[in-house]
Amino acid sequence: MSHTIEPSSGGRRRTLVLFVNTIVAVIGGGLSAVLGAFALGPKANSSQARWSRAGTTSDLKPDEPVPRVLSVSRVDGWYRGRARETVFLVWDGEHTIRAMSATCTHLGCQVQWIAKEKKFKCPCHGGVYAADGSVLAGPPPRPLQSIEARIDPGDSSVLVRL
Amino acid sequence: MKRLFEWLHARTGYRGGVHVMLDEPLPPGTGWFFTLGSVLLALLSIQLLTGAFLTLYYAATPDHAYDSVRFITSLRAGNIVRGLHHYGASFTVIALVAHMLRVIAFGSYKPPREVTWLSGLALLALILAFALTGYLLPWDQRAYWATVVTINISKLTPLAGEMVAGILRGGATIGALTLTRWYSAHVIFLPAALVLLIIGHLYLMRRHGISGPVRVRTGTPAPFYPSQAARDTTMVLLVVAVLVGYAWHGAPPLEGPADPTDAAYIPRPEWYFLGLFQLLKYFPGKWEVVGAMVVPGIAATFLAMLPWIDRGPERAPLKRRAITGAVAIGLASVIALTTLGWRDRPAAAASTDTWSLREIGGRTYAQKLNCVRCHSETGSADPLEGGPSTRGPEWIAGHVSDPEMIAPGMREPPVTIHEREAAAVAAYARRASRDRYPGYSKQIETIAPVWARYCVGCHKIEGDGGTDGPDLTHEGTKHDAATLRRWIEDPEQVDPDADMPSFGDRLTAEQLDAISAYLAARK
Repeated sequence: MSHTIEPSSGGRRRTLVLFVNTIVAVIGGGLSAVLGAFALGPKANSSQARWSRAGTTSDLKPDEPVPRVLSVSRVDGWYRGRARETVFLVWDGEHTIRAMSATCTHLGCQVQWIAKEKKFKCPCHGGVYAADGSVLAGPPPRPLQSIEARIDPGDSSVLVRL
Repeated sequence: MKRLFEWLHARTGYRGGVHVMLDEPLPPGTGWFFTLGSVLLALLSIQLLTGAFLTLYYAATPDHAYDSVRFITSLRAGNIVRGLHHYGASFTVIALVAHMLRVIAFGSYKPPREVTWLSGLALLALILAFALTGYLLPWDQRAYWATVVTINISKLTPLAGEMVAGILRGGATIGALTLTRWYSAHVIFLPAALVLLIIGHLYLMRRHGISGPVRVRTGTPAPFYPSQAARDTTMVLLVVAVLVGYAWHGAPPLEGPADPTDAAYIPRPEWYFLGLFQLLKYFPGKWEVVGAMVVPGIAATFLAMLPWIDRGPERAPLKRRAITGAVAIGLASVIALTTLGWRDRPAAAASTDTWSLREIGGRTYAQKLNCVRCHSETGSADPLEGGPSTRGPEWIAGHVSDPEMIAPGMREPPVTIHEREAAAVAAYARRASRDRYPGYSKQIETIAPVWARYCVGCHKIEGDGGTDGPDLTHEGTKHDAATLRRWIEDPEQVDPDADMPSFGDRLTAEQLDAISAYLAARK
């Protein structure tokens, strides 16, 4: 091994420079890629919805939205908290049930069911929804979000997917 | 592009900086032995970077530390980042020792480089402090119990033992305050000190130049870049490639969450502390302080005093036989102690694959209590098997006796449950959060609830249980099944002075048969 390389001995120097810079780029690039991917955070679909019990049909009246406050466990990275969420259940009196979120699609206030007028009203900015959740008046951009729901034929309990 | 760099240089003069960094003149004959410092620097940079990114997801609280580390391993590239940081720590210690041995062998600490040498020793101490504080952070059994041992050793400090232990602990017991304290040390104070010391070390290295080969050679000095840089980066590439090989599948899996009540756990430190760990075993009782403080203290003092012990100008290792010999003996002792410590594995570590009777019994009680009403895919709580749980045994026992404690309005009518049944369910829940139930024979499933409800109060099997009665781990070597059955049914019938209560009226014939057969088979 020669130890007396002149700083500017042409081709050899160029090869060494290329060699060193390539290694530094490979290690640095690899590390950046790994750390960058890591920093992006969890994959989007990592919090999965689950079926929760929301009482039984005997608590409901046909074609009348009934609010239910559900405690759902929410996975937030390594943290598992419980969130209370209000859903309206609409039962057709037989085997079909629909569920809607009580959260106004405008700015997220909780809508209320006004039984006399058969409308949902938002107390914040005057959003009005029909019994099926479609927008009747006011600023809401979308109908109330519908939630997957089903009746367990075994014990008539209502399950919603939150 | 060229004009952009011209402009940048005109405004910042950056080429001067690059020149200072890369064109250091090196004495002729500088070769592969002088690449170890760069390897160490590269490894420390990887540690700093991966560590900084790990803090994105880590939570330094006893309730969440374990879950957050588990979460990290579930992330994209999480396993490899944690693996790099975990194995990087070991690689750093090895590279540091190799660098130090090179410096000793070449007598590079000789004047005028004494302070460079001392700053290097300070870096060694800092890096060991990093290793120690980082070990606690995952908050699993290994982490917790290694820290218990560390803090207990610190109590041996002469005169100020309790004070030192108190400072390390932060609070009255090892817990939340210890964790936050070690975390701040690991991510704020130690890195700050490390960076400052590295800058100082490198400044001193540049100020005096590197020591170069043992016998000064003639010739013109060559700049660091690119010839020596090529050697350095080749070594760095090799080491990083091996590190990535280790880290590819992630750090070793976490053990169970830290459980301060688990008396059966046998703590073991990380491998580079195994030598010290082994040394302690030779100094029992009041001599412990010799192993914990005096011997390491003498070694540290010897290293610190090296430039003043080895004063001559001679640098060749074979002409400094006393020093080379002393260091070789020291190194051999460390290697021997580490190997002995490595081989001295506790036997209990092997039995972690099988579930304890208490855990299996807890599963039976969990089924009886209908925990799955809530803890299922459609329930209001997470399923018991497979999900992470860092709840302590007290919390689980409280929750099992009264589920409403955490979930108002979502429970069956309260059931009265014996404390040992609650403890069994707690043991099961903790186990099930880590491992799937492997399935056991009908005999085991029959006796496990009995064991967990009654026997475990006074008897031990494989380290789990009470101490009022004899250990039953090897009961089959003492009695046969028929005798055991008669004994369990009514001890006074066999020995009028027996302290054990009779179980004939509490257990079914089937249970009595099963448990006596099981104990008789334990040889």
